[in-house]
Amino acid sequence: MMLLEAIILTVITASTPLLIAALGELVVEKSGVLNLGVEGMMIMGAACGIAAAIFTGSSAAGVLAAILAGMAMAALFGALTLGLAANQVAAGLALAIFGLGLSGMVGAGFVGAQRAGIGKIEVPLLSDIPLLGPVLFNQDPFVYASFALVFLVARFLNRTKAGLVLRACGENHAAAHALGYPVLRIRFLAVLFGGACAGLAGAYMSLVLTPFWSSGMTGGRGWIALAIVVFASWLPGRAAVGAYLFGGITILQLHAQGAGLRVPPQLMSALPYLITIVVLVLIMRLRRGGAAGPASLGVPFVPDR
Amino acid sequence: MTLTRRLLLGSAGALAGAALPGSQADAQSRLSVGVVLIGPVGDFGWSHMHDQGRRRMAEVLGDRVAATTVESVAPPDFDRVVTQLVRTGHRLIFTTSFSYFAPTQRIAPQHPGVFFENATGPTMLPNMAIYNARFYEGRYIQGVIAARKSRTKTIGYVATFPVPEVIHAINTVMRGAWSVDPAMKVRVVWVNAWSNPAREADAARALIDQGCDVLCSHTDGPAPLQLANERGIFGFGQASDMTRFAPRAHLTSSVNNWGDYYAERAQAVIAGTWQPKDTWGGLGSGMFRMAPWTNMTPEEVSEAERIRDAIASGRLHPFEGPIVRQDGTAVIPAGQRLDDNQIRAQNYFYQGIDASIPG
Repeated sequence: MMLLEAIILTVITASTPLLIAALGELVVEKSGVLNLGVEGMMIMGAACGIAAAIFTGSSAAGVLAAILAGMAMAALFGALTLGLAANQVAAGLALAIFGLGLSGMVGAGFVGAQRAGIGKIEVPLLSDIPLLGPVLFNQDPFVYASFALVFLVARFLNRTKAGLVLRACGENHAAAHALGYPVLRIRFLAVLFGGACAGLAGAYMSLVLTPFWSSGMTGGRGWIALAIVVFASWLPGRAAVGAYLFGGITILQLHAQGAGLRVPPQLMSALPYLITIVVLVLIMRLRRGGAAGPASLGVPFVPDR
Repeated sequence: MTLTRRLLLGSAGALAGAALPGSQADAQSRLSVGVVLIGPVGDFGWSHMHDQGRRRMAEVLGDRVAATTVESVAPPDFDRVVTQLVRTGHRLIFTTSFSYFAPTQRIAPQHPGVFFENATGPTMLPNMAIYNARFYEGRYIQGVIAARKSRTKTIGYVATFPVPEVIHAINTVMRGAWSVDPAMKVRVVWVNAWSNPAREADAARALIDQGCDVLCSHTDGPAPLQLANERGIFGFGQASDMTRFAPRAHLTSSVNNWGDYYAERAQAVIAGTWQPKDTWGGLGSGMFRMAPWTNMTPEEVSEAERIRDAIASGRLHPFEGPIVRQDGTAVIPAGQRLDDNQIRAQNYFYQGIDASIPG
């Protein structure tokens, strides 16, 4: 039981940055914009987060700086793709590479700097429930935020008018425009939200998971977040399933290795990708949830006047 | 001077042009040395210590050398970077990764007037030397300390790739541990990366959750050690002194020291006595040292120092027989020891290690 609990705890912490970044990107894509630069925004969040936290001595300031850094990167992307109607794929890839380089510069002064990670917050009484208690109610603030985000994003997209308008922009921007909605402004806000989430995910990496700066420390998690959005067929609940599944298999394969299971680790390392894809494809088939991507995804929109 | 790759390539034309007029007189009095790094100077591990070596060389030789560091050079960019260094007058070039071994071997014959030094390749050329440090000596000491510290009798090892360097390190840790307590066990997790802090930390979590209470790691950064600190167990630092990352968990670090070797080789080029040679230095020659002992009792420290001195002086050899493979076949009997080539080629675990080597 102890080991199971320990494994689940690790799975949740390993999955949280993926989940937060994926939820942000999900909203961006729902608005019809494809931002491939998640990795770049995420690592900028990681670099600026730890830089600000060390500079000010406050974790909260670090988190805020990470969110702002993610948003600044997203704003740059928005200016290019929405303001100048540049190609979203090219701009997104450029953003990812740019972020990796720039974060190295931001973080250069903080290499080897040391600070304590952000601690856990225990919910009284509830955290005493066996197994579920420690897993759900004795976590760091980021994990609670990710739980809340899944719920809020799902509710926003499906149950609010604003969410409906945002989805309309993603499905048919010409129609949304004809109805008088400011398509570009709505998309820009969605892109900013995506940046904020990616920055937050980055902060989780550099402030909680491994509380120090190391260049390239996000290690491709931004790309995984992108993939999760697609495999989750743009549904927040499934994004959570995808993120925890990916994190879960990642951690389980490490445990299997430690336990001396004789399976090639290269295969084990590939498993999270394989299983996540297979399971999400299966879910899609079973539910017949033919949720294809938003129809206007990745198509630049230039309002005619 | 530290250059990024892009800066180097971008400004190469300007540099070459600017350097030419005055370079004739300058080149005779001052040796230009290039250092090519696989990672960023700021990795606080492997590449960082090679850059420290470059600094040390500059300290020792003063204005007789001018060094250029090019960091984060991916193997596909290697040829361009090195060609550029050669064109800008660098006559001694250190290529500081095993990943550069094959490229260095390919490019060295094209520049017969330039001396190449590769860490940590296996073979030489007339203008290419190889150098490495006997890190396994430090691993043996880690094993001894781990066995003293461990209550659960289980060491966790965050391994990178299944190459001989890593495999013989794991074997040596266990040799050291068994010399204290033959019941010691090891759990191994391969992370398939030299640097991926979050995955290293997850691997460390898995090992700790499975009951390991001393962590050894082969990755470049301090993530596993930091996690050991957080979880109240012990660990070791790699490449540089990592005490400050884990004040409560750090036991000792293997601290690389390339500087004296770099200075010696640069001096040899200046004096015209450079010869290709295979240098595999250890504790004895100061190629690395064990950083401060921390969180250890005075008895543990004196035992560790005794073993360190025995290895440094050659009285104790970590690869003494009998050596038996995991599957039970004998490699060498008691009284013999593995030679350097056998150590370099070690691709099997010892009997008693309950872990597997991938593929």
